[in-house]
Amino acid sequence: MSYVSRCWEILERSKTGPIMDENDFLPKRFTPALKKLIREYDLKYDPATPCPSDEAMADRLFQAAVDLVVRVGYYNTDTHRIIQITPEEIREALYTAPRQYWVGGGRDARLFEHRMVEDRRPPFCILSPDITVDEKYHQSMCLAYLKEPLLDGLCGPILEETFGHLIESGGPTEISGCTQHIYNQKLAARLVGRPEVFMVAVGTAEHDSGQIAVSNEQWGVRKTDARLVGALTEFKTADTLLNRSLHYAQYGCHTGHLTGPIYGGWCLGSEGTAVTIAAYSLLGLVVHGATFNQHFPFHLNYGSNTTRELLWSIAMAGQALSRNTGLLYTSNGFANAGPMTRMLFLETAVHAMVSTVTGWHLWEMASTRNKYRNRATPLEARLGAEVGHAVARRGLTREQVNELASRLLAEYESMAADAPIGSEYHECYNPAKAVPTTEHLDLYKRVRDELAGLGLVFPY
Amino acid sequence: MSLEMLGKLVADGEADEARALAARLIAEGQGPLAMIESLTGTMAQVGDLFARLEIFLPEIMLAGEALTAVVQELGPALEKAGGRKSRGRVVLGVVKGDLHEIGKNIVKLILETSGFEVKDLGYNVDSLAFVKEAEAYGADFIGASSLMTTTMPRQKEIIEILKDKGLRDKFRVVIGGAPTSRMWAEQIGADLWCPDAKSAPDLLAGLLK
Repeated sequence: MSYVSRCWEILERSKTGPIMDENDFLPKRFTPALKKLIREYDLKYDPATPCPSDEAMADRLFQAAVDLVVRVGYYNTDTHRIIQITPEEIREALYTAPRQYWVGGGRDARLFEHRMVEDRRPPFCILSPDITVDEKYHQSMCLAYLKEPLLDGLCGPILEETFGHLIESGGPTEISGCTQHIYNQKLAARLVGRPEVFMVAVGTAEHDSGQIAVSNEQWGVRKTDARLVGALTEFKTADTLLNRSLHYAQYGCHTGHLTGPIYGGWCLGSEGTAVTIAAYSLLGLVVHGATFNQHFPFHLNYGSNTTRELLWSIAMAGQALSRNTGLLYTSNGFANAGPMTRMLFLETAVHAMVSTVTGWHLWEMASTRNKYRNRATPLEARLGAEVGHAVARRGLTREQVNELASRLLAEYESMAADAPIGSEYHECYNPAKAVPTTEHLDLYKRVRDELAGLGLVFPY
Repeated sequence: MSLEMLGKLVADGEADEARALAARLIAEGQGPLAMIESLTGTMAQVGDLFARLEIFLPEIMLAGEALTAVVQELGPALEKAGGRKSRGRVVLGVVKGDLHEIGKNIVKLILETSGFEVKDLGYNVDSLAFVKEAEAYGADFIGASSLMTTTMPRQKEIIEILKDKGLRDKFRVVIGGAPTSRMWAEQIGADLWCPDAKSAPDLLAGLLK
């Protein structure tokens, strides 16, 4: 049964499922169930192993994720009801889910396929600044990312203003901003000679109306592109989100399910975060018909995922999903430090190597905790993609990556709370030509050489 | 049975047991104000543990609920002793168009356990509703949180409504949320930018001095 025929049953449950006060859902239903499952399945975080290779635990973790979805369900904040899902539906959805998709069009089409743990096939690399950007730099930044040789897909920067007006979610400025966003991105793709490159668009849309406004085969988001539908932390959805996934399915483009489980929040510590990531992939498939899941777990205090407690969660969830499903899922790096700092390059490298070896695809790289406007550049994303390719092509093992990651963590982890925020895009790049400055490029090369000195063999 | 035991029960989030012990302590002649003072210290310690993520959000939420249960139990005794001194009244919410409320909920908890009275408006709150609720509640502060850059303009909208209604001087407007900054607060004319939940009580109290 495909999502399109299943979705009406899901939407119906959103109106008829068990009713519950929203204030009770997380403390009384979600967290107690998660806590119990962590105990039942004997899941234990080990800070000494940021990239673990315990396959038995990964399989137990997957079962815990299935049970979490079944026991808790997905809460609709508009109807105050729980969308309940059965184990049979999960099994059916996993069996029928394609293990691969062609995305993008024509000469720019790419195969996006399920990866195994320690897979020698390189990860699919979606590159994104993940941040907001001044209107005057938006097109330049799109161009700069599209020039990246290892880019398989682009998710462009987010606009805050459209023709001088502040963009307000749900208002007319958002519709305009979304149109401007996709035009900028598509024009940039044509200018660099990748007119049909795969895009995940548009991040400027916070409201469903903004997304729906840009579905257009001629000038907008095409059917060979993807769009995201988020989850509300944790395990909650809303009509504005269900509107999106229904529209994406009916329009015929790809759907990515965007989730950010919070370490230290309702999903507790590393074990709970890992279970929640895997469970979100199942919810994305069953509730939203997602082609892929896009996960960005993050630390409640830092807003990043490059410290060991989050790397462990990413590594375990990746292995759980890789070994037990044929799904596609991208690991979205969130770093503490900002552009043109050694720390950001190191954080990106560690995030990319741990994710790649444990079955993930890459989505690199949100810098400076995804908080500051203009603070992202393609060079950190380039390094992430290169590290991903290096790890896969050379067939690095989880043990080898664990050792490398541990050495690099020692270089930056103690600075997580007070990481340098680095520089803005226009200070690291020439915006007119969309190329890095010599200073920025030199720093990137030095860190790349440093990584090569530790034994990482880059493909070129 | 002691204040120390009461503090432990609150820290462990044992609401029912804490409430029962509080009742016994009052019956034995323990002063309610001393109990509240002691528990304020307990919650500060719990807050520190949470700030370092040595405990997680569900645990501090449970501790907050246990404290609320004790305060409810002590209600009549506190009244007799002159009442618990409020450090200020806050209407708090997440702005229109924004459905993310975890940060706001943490701020609410920290403010309440630090002696502020908080009216929680929830999320996706219309800008005018912030103003109307603040008037009805007799608030000292309007706290508006935003997690998305495209919902930040709603924080500005609240201030503009206050100005247009001639109410700007009546309330201190406090903003927060991941994409916000001191610079944004200055730009829109907010009275305060809160960088995190832990610093909120002292920063708010500072505005009333």
